Amino acid sequence: MRTTTATPDVTPDPFVHPALFYRSDREYLDGTVPFVREGLAAGEPVAAAVPGDRLRLLRDALGADARRVRLLDMREAGRNPGRIIPGVLRAFADAQPAGQRVRIIGEPVWAGRSASEYPACVQHEALINAAFRGRTVTILCPYDAARLPGHVLEDAHATHPTVIPGGSRPARHSEAYAPDAIVARYNEPLPLAPDAMTFPFVADSLPEARHAATDEGRRLGLTGTVLDDLALATAELTTNSVLHGGGSGVLRVWGEDGRVLCEVRDAGRFTDPLAGRRPASRDQRGGRGLLMVNLLADLVRVHTGDEGTTIRCWFSR
Amino acid sequence: MGSRHRTPYGPGGPGPSLTVRPLEGCRGIRAAGEVGLATHMIWERVLEQAVREGEGVYYLELSEVTFVDVAGAGALAAAAGRLGAGRRLVVRRPPPALRRVLETFWPGLPTIEVTT
Repeated sequence: MRTTTATPDVTPDPFVHPALFYRSDREYLDGTVPFVREGLAAGEPVAAAVPGDRLRLLRDALGADARRVRLLDMREAGRNPGRIIPGVLRAFADAQPAGQRVRIIGEPVWAGRSASEYPACVQHEALINAAFRGRTVTILCPYDAARLPGHVLEDAHATHPTVIPGGSRPARHSEAYAPDAIVARYNEPLPLAPDAMTFPFVADSLPEARHAATDEGRRLGLTGTVLDDLALATAELTTNSVLHGGGSGVLRVWGEDGRVLCEVRDAGRFTDPLAGRRPASRDQRGGRGLLMVNLLADLVRVHTGDEGTTIRCWFSR
Repeated sequence: MGSRHRTPYGPGGPGPSLTVRPLEGCRGIRAAGEVGLATHMIWERVLEQAVREGEGVYYLELSEVTFVDVAGAGALAAAAGRLGAGRRLVVRRPPPALRRVLETFWPGLPTIEVTT
């Protein structure tokens, strides 16, 4: 009798991250409903974080099974793409038993994402690969191929190791897969805003910087909790500059398209692309500042290079 | 570069402070000022004292504290984690950011009670 031992040459990454391109509601459901049902049948925890209209479509198609799926409106939970990994994907995956495969449908890019949001969206999609390497997790990312521009669909081929061309057709390897190149390409400079309240700060003037931000935020129409959020975000960003960004920086606050923007520039350089995107363990001392900013702001954009680092946050009135 | 604002602290004026005095009638302190990079050391000493001192409930009256940053909230959560059995910290009237940060990173800590 002959015995065979299955010894693969390389251990494949247990993390699976396909992009699903759909052109109709039918293709959306053909690609997502079986994915959910297979997971449920295998006893796997399943979540879907997709825009509200897609969520309703999926919930209706799943019928009674929808109750067994964690459903989140990505327009809220993932409005800032920088918080999707810690606040949505890992928040769900990390809460499941170790070694248990977890299935998530994550749709962070939809038609209507602004030009300011898109670079953060595509960097997020690229960074998912590093954030989940080695984990028994499957994240299926639907892309609305009928409405999203061509360059977005091209980028999705670079941020996903596998792609599903339409509906229920099988996944295939993506030749264009190059997530690090995407992170670098969308590390776009953030041009100076012309009429911003500008406040250079050092360690001794951190409280003044915070007051300057809230005064300007109030003048621009922020109130209540959002004003508190602006104060906290400003404090965390300016303190980071003092501690890790060369000891000083420049704070700017201004209004743009009905939102209040807050930006901190310093001489430091980001070396960890996942900074601010890892959930904090309860016992970890420090290291939560940028994560807090990601959780508070509607959008966070970062530009980093030899000339320094700029972090810009958007707050809605 | 000009900045279009006025701040409570003039240029070169005294920085922010955190002053602490004992509470009358119960075990605890009343703090005034803010918890940030410049005052973390004072805050840590307050919390060490709270952990060290006595048994039962220790009050932190924070109605005159205008701001606590994430590291300051983390120090409070860490102190609460070091409390022995039957002990707890009662945080009275903290600035809203502190409650927000505690709920975000340390929800349901059994040894911290936040009151309004």
